[in-house]
Amino acid sequence: MTDMPTPQPIPRKGSLLVQDARTVKRNRAEARFKMYGIIAISMGLLMLLILLTTIIGRGTSAFQQTFVSLNVPLLAEKLDKKGNRDIEDIKKVSTFGYAPLLQAGFEQKVADLGIATDLKPKDMANLLSKDAAATLRDFVLANPDQIGETVVFEFLAQSRVDGYLKGRVTRDSIENDKNISAAQLDLVDALVADGTLAKKFNISFITGADASDARPEAAGIGVAMMGSLAMMLVVLALALPIGVAASIYLEEFAPKNWITDVIEVNIANLAAVPSIVFGILGLAVFINYMHLPNSAPLVGGLVLTLMTLPTIIISTRASLKAVPPSIRDAALGVGASKMQSVFHHVLPLAAPGILTGTIIGLAQALGETAPLLLIGMVGFIASNPPETIAEGLLSPNSAMPAQIYEWAKRADPAFYERAWGGIIILLVFLITMNAIAVLLRRRFERRW
Amino acid sequence: MRDNSLPERDVDTKTVKIAARDVQVYYGDNHAIKDVNVDIEDKTVTAFIGPSGCGKSTFLRCINRMNDTIDICRVEGDIRIDGEDIYDRAVDPVQLRAKVGMVFQKPNPFPKSIYDNVAYGPRIHGLARNKAELDDIVERALKRGAIWNEVKDRLHAPGTGLSGGQQQRLCIARAVATEPEVLLMDEPCSALDPIATAQVEELIDELRQSYSVVIVTHSMQQAARVSQRTAFFHLGNLVEFGDTDKIFTQPEDPRTESYITGRIG
Repeated sequence: MTDMPTPQPIPRKGSLLVQDARTVKRNRAEARFKMYGIIAISMGLLMLLILLTTIIGRGTSAFQQTFVSLNVPLLAEKLDKKGNRDIEDIKKVSTFGYAPLLQAGFEQKVADLGIATDLKPKDMANLLSKDAAATLRDFVLANPDQIGETVVFEFLAQSRVDGYLKGRVTRDSIENDKNISAAQLDLVDALVADGTLAKKFNISFITGADASDARPEAAGIGVAMMGSLAMMLVVLALALPIGVAASIYLEEFAPKNWITDVIEVNIANLAAVPSIVFGILGLAVFINYMHLPNSAPLVGGLVLTLMTLPTIIISTRASLKAVPPSIRDAALGVGASKMQSVFHHVLPLAAPGILTGTIIGLAQALGETAPLLLIGMVGFIASNPPETIAEGLLSPNSAMPAQIYEWAKRADPAFYERAWGGIIILLVFLITMNAIAVLLRRRFERRW
Repeated sequence: MRDNSLPERDVDTKTVKIAARDVQVYYGDNHAIKDVNVDIEDKTVTAFIGPSGCGKSTFLRCINRMNDTIDICRVEGDIRIDGEDIYDRAVDPVQLRAKVGMVFQKPNPFPKSIYDNVAYGPRIHGLARNKAELDDIVERALKRGAIWNEVKDRLHAPGTGLSGGQQQRLCIARAVATEPEVLLMDEPCSALDPIATAQVEELIDELRQSYSVVIVTHSMQQAARVSQRTAFFHLGNLVEFGDTDKIFTQPEDPRTESYITGRIG
């Protein structure tokens, strides 16, 4: 026993109530580190906010389009000269032949409203989109019995008029513009005051096909969306079973030797390979060697499958690894075979992780543009919406990100707005997919 | 409370269920089990005791070839169950494991219902022809696992929701549901509290009526309480094997004596 000189000993290493120099220093370092973290996160959030406000601010206008409502007389002497209502004869009138009807309709409208203008009917009809004649012809061919009547139509206005209503085009900016004149803008103002010309929600931006440089107002992302969906179908149908089967084999059955080690390292490396390399591979193998059609979503889907596989394999292996070995032991212990233990016990427990990985992989593939460049899916591809699944897979098409890129590089600022609008749609898809991934994980995650 | 002496029962020590001859186990270059010779009798509880890392669990896992799942593990020698070499090329380990059930150190019920936990083995081995038979098997197994009364009203509740002791008894019920002939238990009570341990020990003594039970344990008291025969392992060697009473009262080998008196281990 040692002697205790006083009942209340003086602390040998200084008081606990006073922080020593080292502690002060350590605490400061910790506070600094926390501050850096907060700064980094706030910078990130700020950038995200800027990104979102920019996208929404510039893109929402793409969902609205200026329409002109007109009463167009479907004159029989122009459309059906023989008067026998034979559809083959009516088809002989090209879109060009419908222009006079539009001019007549516009002239009538202006006269009815009592607007004083020096413009010729041709210049008035110029306010309409170049798409208007085609819209009219499609209607007549679909309803030949309407010939001779006067029908109310909502036509797209041309992009300068649309830009004028959206503030993109001003009277100053059109001084050297041969597409529109100040007198035409006067007419536009008068028509807006009357309500003939108005901005409306434009569903055909979401459902329609791309349009040529001369008529940005008619361009839509719908067909590209179908292309993206067809590709996702291919990716899901191929990458999920192949990826999951490969990971189960590698994780549960394959012997651990140098061959599997090499395969493992290479899968990890493949996940980091630039996606354009997969595009070159797709071009060489699927198009040049296997002679699959150019620009087809099937080929795009195959390329994206190659790109997505490593992601799916890595996440599947991780979730298989996360299943505790005691479950495998338990299954083997009651006499289950290796395969029974994997399929009855391990796989169901790993399923939420596998699904999450797959959806993240799909989302990644959905946003991919570079590999599509090489197989001809980036470019002006204005096809009709595919009618069958086979057509959707094999006929030339684009994809959403490719369509956005295509619009962004065109000269007319009206396409620029559509590029932003397309980004909004793409983001909605991606956020939905990620939300599904989070929900699945929450819903099916099991604890043990 | 319960006393430590169990009522003496007649022990049929004539039939040898498991015979091991010159068993060697290697983990890579590490020689984990050296020259083990042991005869494990039917309807007997045999305890394996010894300090950590002495190879008792490794040897236990040889008996139902669970070591096959470890790539670097190599087993040499001869282990025979009813005279049949279980390491013969013709033996399918899956069939073997249906015959030799196992209960693990940590309770590991499947994250499924209590019913499905027990029914899984009979299902994959095709032991029941219809739902009624399966219900019967499950009930019998749960009764044997001494857990029926606690779970009969919630057979479809998840097995992972039970307490640790209940989970372990569920695992025992799961193991006996496939009607094995040998039951291996790898420290079945190490994760349990004393009350649950007592329940499981009582259960082991019940199970002795029908099975040859081999139990690995760290607790010498437990070995003394539940087993009729005891094997002492040390550094991969089987040092001594004999009647439990004798091992604990008059050990022949000085190492056994040191271990049971607490000087090594």
